Formats: sequence, structure tokens, C-alpha cells
Amino acid sequence: MSYDDVEIEDMEWNNELQAFTYPCPCGDLFQITKDELKLGEEIARCPSCSLYITVIYNMEEISGESDHKSKKSIEPSKQQPVAVA
Amino acid sequence: AKRFSNRTLKGESFSTKRKQGSLEAEIGVRSMEANERVNEKYTNKKCGAGEQVQRASSAPVTLKTTTSLSSSLLFPPLQQNPSPSSPAVALTPLPSLPLCGCSNEFLIVAGGRVLTWGRGTSGQLGHGDMVNSLNPKPVDALQSFVITHGSAGWNHSGFVSDTGCLFTCGDGSFGQLGHGDYSSRCSPVNVLYFSSRHVEQIVCGMRHSLALLKGNVEDHVYGFGSGKRGQLGTSRDRIQSISLPQITLGLEDNKIASISANGIIVQHYLVRPKDFYQFDINSLPLYASALLISDGHLYIWGRGFGSTTDVYCPHRASVSLTFTQAALGWNHALLLTGDGTVFMLGGNHHGGLSNPQKTILVKHTAEQSNEALVGRIPNLDGIKVLQVAAGAEHSALVTGKNGVIMTWGWGEHGQLGLGNSDDQTSPQ
Repeated sequence: MSYDDVEIEDMEWNNELQAFTYPCPCGDLFQITKDELKLGEEIARCPSCSLYITVIYNMEEISGESDHKSKKSIEPSKQQPVAVA
Repeated sequence: AKRFSNRTLKGESFSTKRKQGSLEAEIGVRSMEANERVNEKYTNKKCGAGEQVQRASSAPVTLKTTTSLSSSLLFPPLQQNPSPSSPAVALTPLPSLPLCGCSNEFLIVAGGRVLTWGRGTSGQLGHGDMVNSLNPKPVDALQSFVITHGSAGWNHSGFVSDTGCLFTCGDGSFGQLGHGDYSSRCSPVNVLYFSSRHVEQIVCGMRHSLALLKGNVEDHVYGFGSGKRGQLGTSRDRIQSISLPQITLGLEDNKIASISANGIIVQHYLVRPKDFYQFDINSLPLYASALLISDGHLYIWGRGFGSTTDVYCPHRASVSLTFTQAALGWNHALLLTGDGTVFMLGGNHHGGLSNPQKTILVKHTAEQSNEALVGRIPNLDGIKVLQVAAGAEHSALVTGKNGVIMTWGWGEHGQLGLGNSDDQTSPQ
């Protein structure tokens, strides 16, 4: 039984894994690749346990997903001085 | 140490033999190594430390039993003066200091110092880098502050000083750091929005944060980060996310003595002797629910438990019970009454209540006419419960019967501590 239904827009693209990911309650990540999505696959599995989720998406969302999530800034800022209270 | 047991440990068996002075440290080493293998697979980065965790000490192992701890955490022996050969995890036995943890990082506050370790690929450890750390390392950026509270979310952390300053670091892509942008930080940064206020406590969820502020007349809760399921409680409508703190509605005229947080798996909370106020945040990914117990009353907002719909700002549940403590998982909540009875909200995934015994006790009056199903936990007749705790999909409690601990719920990763990986639908 699917652990949860998650919309594709709520998943995070992981460059190292080359997959859309979503936190799993075990601490690992549910994962599904673009290829799997293009094939119509909707199950994102967790490599560490038996849980899986159902991904909610339209085919149109997948085809144009090359630079997905690039709007979110992920670079860390330089070490900033901490203001004295 | 407990948290890492939820990682991939297939084929490994925990040693349950108590070797003198090494039980928790051994579990910690094994779990951390397994965690590191998982991390390497994902990040291809070597952990910054890389060295073996030292045995904690050769003193006899004692498990901490104060009520300020989650029942599923193990602690190394208390040491006032750690010897040079032991790692820098010295716990000062002050009952008012909270000890908190999260799925992938631990924050231990010892005498105002903060030590973090675990997963750190989002900068949530606050060491100025984005790598994991096997060993506890002090957060140098906070060394001139006395940190009284901390919270670890999925990818971000928050720290509160005794002077009421709030610092956050880690992933900020949902605005959950509260700096007014969507950038991440790898060292703790002061949340300037609160610079003229006194922040009492911070709780970090999956992609959001909630801060408790103390005032002379009343206290307030502010939320920031992802708010898709109303978990910030800051608006009557759905909001996507906010990067600057906004006040949580509906809690005016309340005195809130403390808030507690369920990180991802491990819960921490602060219990003051005289107070029964508490506020829990559920760190469900995006789907957080927050319970606030003020004056013993139950407030709910965010994702509805079970079949209830989402509520975007706190609504008080009309219920004749007075609650003293709450613990939240990802799909369930545990409520403890003053006379030691435990009730559960939700919990349909694992460790749910067996249906014949489920009783509807709470009618949650809200604009959307929600109905929160609260059921009494079976197998606890006549047993007084002192404390409840919740992981993502499992539950634990401490009974008044010689401090016996009982667990139930999802057991696949050995998190129930019962010696197998079976699920349990009632406390064992």
C-alpha cells in the first residue's frame, strides 16, 4: 500500500541521484527518475525500506523538466558573522 | 544513536550484550558507519571526520531516565570532566536543558555549548561546510552564546540563546530559515526579524519552522517556511511558503510556557516543573500538523489527522479532557492527560488502533467542521503513563510501573527495540 500521494512539484530534484526525491520516514529518500516518469511509472521507492509513495503528475510536467527547481538557490552563503545579541 | 538505527541496516544485527562501558557507543558506531555508507552512496563525499567514534568511557553504562528525554534515545554516561581519550560529548546533568535530535543530526546542548553531527549536506550542522560529520563537533560560530534550546529539522537547524536570539542554518530553499530569502546557510545566522524580541524556543520541521516568543502580557508563535498544508498557522488560506516570520493566528491572549518539537523521528521537549503548556510541531514533509496545549486545551492546525481536512490557523478542539503532553509523528499524535491516560489521533498507517476499540472522543469544532478521531490506546488498562514520545511512524511511552518503556507502531528498522522488525498495533 502506498505510504502517501505526493505531487511532483513537491518533490526535490537531486543531481547526484538524478532523481526526484521526497523524504521517507525512515530517514532515507523516496526516489523516481525522469525516465521512469516518462514511462508512466508513478511509484517512488525508498532504497532503505519497504515503503513507497505514489507520485502525482501530468505527462506535460515531465517533458519540460530539464532545469527543474533551478529557481531555488542551493548555494550556501559565505560564512556570515553572527550578530552579537 | 537511536536515530541512526532507522537507516539501512539490513543483514546487521545489533549486539544487545552489555559490554561494560560500550553499549551505546557500539550501537552508535555501527549505526553511524551504516549511515555513512548510505551517505556515500548519495553524495560521493567523504565525511569530514572519517575517524572511528571512540568508546565513550570505561565507566559503567547508565541509561538516562529523566523525563526530559525521548524514550527512544540512548545517552552516553554522564561525565562532568571528560577524559582526553573520550569524545567531546559531555552531558551536564541539568534537568532544564533539553536534548534534541533529528533524523540525521543531533544537537546536544551541554552547558550552553552546541555539538552537532550526522547528516550535514545542507549545512545544517552549522560548521561552515556541507559535509556529514561522524563525530560531534562544537558549533564554533555560537561559542560566545549560551544556547538554551535547539531543534533539528530535516535539512535545517535552529538555535536559541539565553538572551532570546534565534539562529538558523541549513537548507533555506523554502524560506524555513526566516532570513527573508530562499538561500541556504552553512553556519548559524541570526534571525534579525526577532532582534528586538525574545525568542524562547524554536522548532524545526521538514521544510518549516515555528518560533515561540515570550512577551510581558502574552506569548506568540511565529511560523516561516513551507506552508502548503497550513502548518504555519499564519493565514486563513493556503500559502505556499514565507521566508520571513509571520505570527500564528488564533493564539492571542494565551500564555504559552513552552513548545516542543518532534524533529523528524526523535522528539525533544522541555518540561518545566510547574507548567503544562506545550506545543508540538509535526515535521511531516510539507504536511505538518501542530498541536498546541495551552492551559491543557488542544489546538490543532495544519494537516488533518486521518480523514480530517487541513486547517490553516489554530483552532481549539472542544474536548473535555485536559492534556499535559503531546507527541507527533508523521501521521499520528499521542496525547497524554493529567491522570496518565494516552490517546491517539490518526495513526492509520502503522500502529493504528485496532478498530473495535477506537472511540470517537473529540469533536473538533472549526469552520470546516473537522472531526478529529481520538482513540484510547489499548493494552494500557490500569497502567499510568508518565511520558509519551513519537517517531515518524511509531510510538513510545514510559509507564509508572517501574519506568517500564512500551513501544508500538512501525518496526521495520528495529526502532521499537523489541528485538525484531515486526510492526505492533498495541504497546509492547
